[in-house]
Parts: sequence; structure tokens; C-alpha cells
Amino acid sequence: MSSISCRICKKLSIFLFVLLCIDFFLSSQALPQNNGNPLSTPVSKKLTLVEAAMCEGIKEYIPQNEAIVFSMTIGKVSCFTSFDPVPEKTFIYHNWFFRDKLSTRIKLSLQPPCWSTFSSIQLREADKGPWRVEVIDQKGNVFDTIRFSITD
Amino acid sequence: MNTLLHFLSTIRWQDIVDITLNSYILFRLYVLFRGTNVFRVLVGMAFLWFFQRIAVSIGLIVTSWAVQGITAVAALIIIVVFRNEIRSVLQAKNLGAILWGFSHKTVSSPIEIVVDSVYELARRRNGALIVFPGKENLEEMVQSGIRWRGLVSKEMIMSIFWHDNPVHDGAAIIQGNQVIEVGVILPLSNRTDLPSHYGTRHRAAAGLSEATDALVIVVSEERGNVLVAKGSHVSVVNRKEELAQILHEHVGVTATQWGYLRKERLGLGIAVVGSILFITGVWFSFTRGLETLTTFEIPIEYMNRDPGMEILDTSVNAVRLHLSGSGALIKSMGPEQVRVRLDLSKAVVGPNTFTITPENVDLPPGVFVKRVEPPVLEVTLDIPIKREVPIQVDWVGKLPEHLILVKAKLDPEKIEVIGGTGQLKDISTIYTQKVPIDHIKKTGAITVNLALHPASLKIAPDSEDKIAVRYVVKERL
Repeated sequence: MSSISCRICKKLSIFLFVLLCIDFFLSSQALPQNNGNPLSTPVSKKLTLVEAAMCEGIKEYIPQNEAIVFSMTIGKVSCFTSFDPVPEKTFIYHNWFFRDKLSTRIKLSLQPPCWSTFSSIQLREADKGPWRVEVIDQKGNVFDTIRFSITD
Repeated sequence: MNTLLHFLSTIRWQDIVDITLNSYILFRLYVLFRGTNVFRVLVGMAFLWFFQRIAVSIGLIVTSWAVQGITAVAALIIIVVFRNEIRSVLQAKNLGAILWGFSHKTVSSPIEIVVDSVYELARRRNGALIVFPGKENLEEMVQSGIRWRGLVSKEMIMSIFWHDNPVHDGAAIIQGNQVIEVGVILPLSNRTDLPSHYGTRHRAAAGLSEATDALVIVVSEERGNVLVAKGSHVSVVNRKEELAQILHEHVGVTATQWGYLRKERLGLGIAVVGSILFITGVWFSFTRGLETLTTFEIPIEYMNRDPGMEILDTSVNAVRLHLSGSGALIKSMGPEQVRVRLDLSKAVVGPNTFTITPENVDLPPGVFVKRVEPPVLEVTLDIPIKREVPIQVDWVGKLPEHLILVKAKLDPEKIEVIGGTGQLKDISTIYTQKVPIDHIKKTGAITVNLALHPASLKIAPDSEDKIAVRYVVKERL
């Protein structure tokens, strides 16, 4: 009987040790992002989109020249999204629609605790017209829809 | 023989009914209007029309136009000028008489006039003596006659035997429809077996009838009765019909009457045959003339659609019908006489394919469908629903290089649209009409319309169709 209880105590101590190790590992992966966005504090455990914008480019994690109309001449347009918190490593999608027709679907990974990411498309002559980007999670839930136009 | 059999096989029962019905209508018009001025003018018009067709066929341009014009005006003139006559013909007859009655010509023969006059004289107790000669010549038997040669009429007979007329004591001789002589002295009978109350008139009548084959009518002034003396018989005749019968038998009018009836029946028979031939001719010219082809573009009519569904789209809105028929029919018809109908009672939600068959095409009789273009069409039906959809501005043009259009606020941001279920399923944005940005220099506001696509989409009645757009521009850094 004493040998059985000794074996249970041994297994329990191993399980507690593993849990401590996992917790230490996850905290160290979220740090670099915390440095970039010190105000974002994970209050809820739900993946939350805090910023979404169309821009001409991204420079040092900051969207440049946010707008709703882009000229063909700039050659590229980007969709910037920022999430805080990111409870766990996950994926989101940027679905680019040209006139209600899905043009491209870009899969982007998110890392805890908060993460910014973007997708871009190269502009062609045939791309002139109204566009929208839907930001959705893996289950298809739409975080936001950003509408813009490509013009001359 | 084969040609005849082939021809007979192409005749439908409707054609027989068609010819019969119209022949009967023409025949009835003849029966109703014969003898009237209208009928004569109608016959004249028929000749004009015939003349015009001949003029057309041999290429007399001015003549054909002139005759056509006259015919057209004549039709109007008939109605205006003869309106009273037409009305009297139609009003005087009941429906049965118009549809199938025969009005025999009521011609009063001299015998009927004489019979009426004789009994009128008897009623007034005016004595009279009227002689109807037979085949024998009476000149040697009668005396002192005064030539008259007037047409028989009741008034004339009454005046001849009027008391104050100098010739009223003599006899009047009637032959055919004329009073030949009046004041004629007849030979008196010497018979002793005549009744004692017979006066001079009676004896004169008996005297002539005994001596010749003439028939003599006596109107007794004293007794007010009518007697007929024929041969050796003198008898009282109390009924008009009896006297008329005796006179008919004497002058042989019965045969004449039968001849008249026969003539009338012959006339009607000719009218029947003429009507049938005329209508048959018209029918042939309309239906069996040279085959002519024509093409009409006819819009398609949809019927029996489920009220819960709406037609969202059709592959075509009209079809081209290639029709054939006789030249006369094709020339006289227009697109408004042709209809193409599609029954949507069995249509389902989504695309439905229909083949247009001759059963879908309503045509005047005698015209046939040769070809339909396109023969198949697709009709898309859907159940209309209402849905709220976001609006997006469709910016176009080129913004000045130094500006960035950073934001636009729409009011309203969403709009309710009505459309088919399948249609709205693929629509997640309603775009505005194109909004040029070339002239934008600063932040401002505009009002724009929506560009609904497809066009079958409708804005819900309680939604705004004008969108206010407030836009924000800023200088490019």
C-alpha cells in the first residue's frame, strides 16, 4: 500500500514540474511584441483586432499613408492589421475582394500576446475599381471589412 | 385525282364552318336588303371592288387608286345616306326574321284589289257590275262602253260605281291589271228561272255569262251581297277568299302565282349558290393564295407565374417568328395580331428552359409558324427577399498627387434592397455610381446615387436612394 502511494506522489511531482516548464516557455515568446506595444495588456483571452487599415506601405510596423483611395501609380497596396491580445498562436486570413469577387486569400500567422501583420497586392491596370478586404479568423468570423478603391 | 384528294385532305372542319357561316351571312344580307336601294348600291360597290382588283392586277396605278378611294368613300356614304333605310330594315324585323325569316314580296294582285273593292261596295250598298272576260271576244256582246284603260285600284273601282258617276249603271270590264272599259251595257238574260228579286244588274250579269265564257260579279244595291255569274250559274259569294279563289280559277292567276313563287325560289336558290361561290372564292384567295413569308419580332408574354416568384432574368425578351400564309392574309396582318405566351405554371426557382412551339404562338387563322428564333429560351425565376447590404463608394479618376483621401463617411452606410434569393446571395456590397475624384481639393461632402446591378434589384421602399458622402482628405507627407 505504501509503495502505491509513493508511486502516485512521484507521478504528481513530475506533472507539476512539466506545467512549470510550459508556463516559462510561453512567457518568453510574447515579450518581443510587448516591447513594440507596451500599452496592450491582455484583459480578455479573446483574439481582438485593434487596428485595420489600408495603406501604401508598412514601415517599422507602422502603416504609411493610410487611405481609402489608391492610385495605380504606387504599384502596391497593403492591408495592415493589429491584434491585441493574441491568446494563442493562430492564423487569420486577409480575403481580398474585387467587386464582390474573391481575388486572393492570404493566410497570416499571429503570435501571442499581441501581433501586427499585413498583406499586400501588386496593382495592375485591370485592378481599378472598388475593393474590400475581409479580416477573418480560422472559423470564418469576420473581424472587420476595409473598403477602398484603386483608381488612375 | 391525287391532287383533288390531297386538296380535300387539307380542308379542315373549321374551313367548312367558315365558308358556310359567311355564305349564310351574305345570303341573309341579300334577303334583308333585296329590292332596296342599299342592295343596289352594295352590288355597285362589289363591282367597284372587282374592277379595282382587275385594275391592280393589270397594273393601272391611277385607276386602282381612284377606284379604291371611291370604294372607301362609298362605304361611308352608304351608311350616312341610307341610314334610314338600313334602320327601317333592321327595326322592322325581329331577331328571328333577321336571322332566318323570309319576307315574301307582298304584291297585291288586281284580283285582291277587286275583291276588296267589291265587298266594300257591298257594305256601302253601292251596286256594281264587273266583267272578267274569258278567252272569248266580248265586243259583239256588249255596247256603249267607254274606253278607260286605267290601272286597277280600289279608289278607281269605288269611284266608277259611285252613285253620281254617269257610268255607274254600266259594267266595268277588267282585264289583267287594267280597267278596259266602263259604262258597258251587257245583254240581259231571258231566263225565267231566275229569282224574282234579281234586278237588271243580275239579269245583265246572267245574260253575258250565259252567252260567253266571261265571269261577271254583281254587287246588289238592295241586298248588299255579292254574286258571281259564270256560265249559267249565278251564286251568292259571302266570303272574300271564296271570291278570290273563283277569280283566280277564272283568269288562271293560280298558275301565275305559282310561277311567281317558283321564280322567287329560283332567285333565292341563285342567291344561295352565289353566296357560297363568292365566299368560297374569297376564302380561297385568303387562304390558298400564293404562300408568302414574313418575319415579326414579338415580345414574349409570361403567364401563370407563381405570385411568390419573380422573373429575374430571361435569355431573350422577344423572339423572331417566321410566318407563312397566303399573300392576302400576310399583307393584312400586323405584329399586334401575334402573341407569344409562355406558361410558367410549372417553372421552378432558378433557371428554366422553355422550347417555343406553335402552341405558344397565337396567330390569325390561316397563318402558320415556319420557324422561331431562338427556339429555346431560359427564364430565371426567384423568390424575392429583402436584405440589408453595405454601400461602398466607387471612386474613379486621379486625385491630385499631394492629397490622400483618408476617410469617407456614408449616410446611410447600409441599404435595404429587394431581389431574388439566389441573386442576393452573391451580393455583399451595393456600389454607388462612379464618383470622380479629379477635382477634389479639400475635405467635403457630396450626394451620390446608387448603381444597382443587376438592374432587377430594387431599393426597398423605406430606404433612401441618395447617399450622402462626407470625405476627408489630407496633404501627403
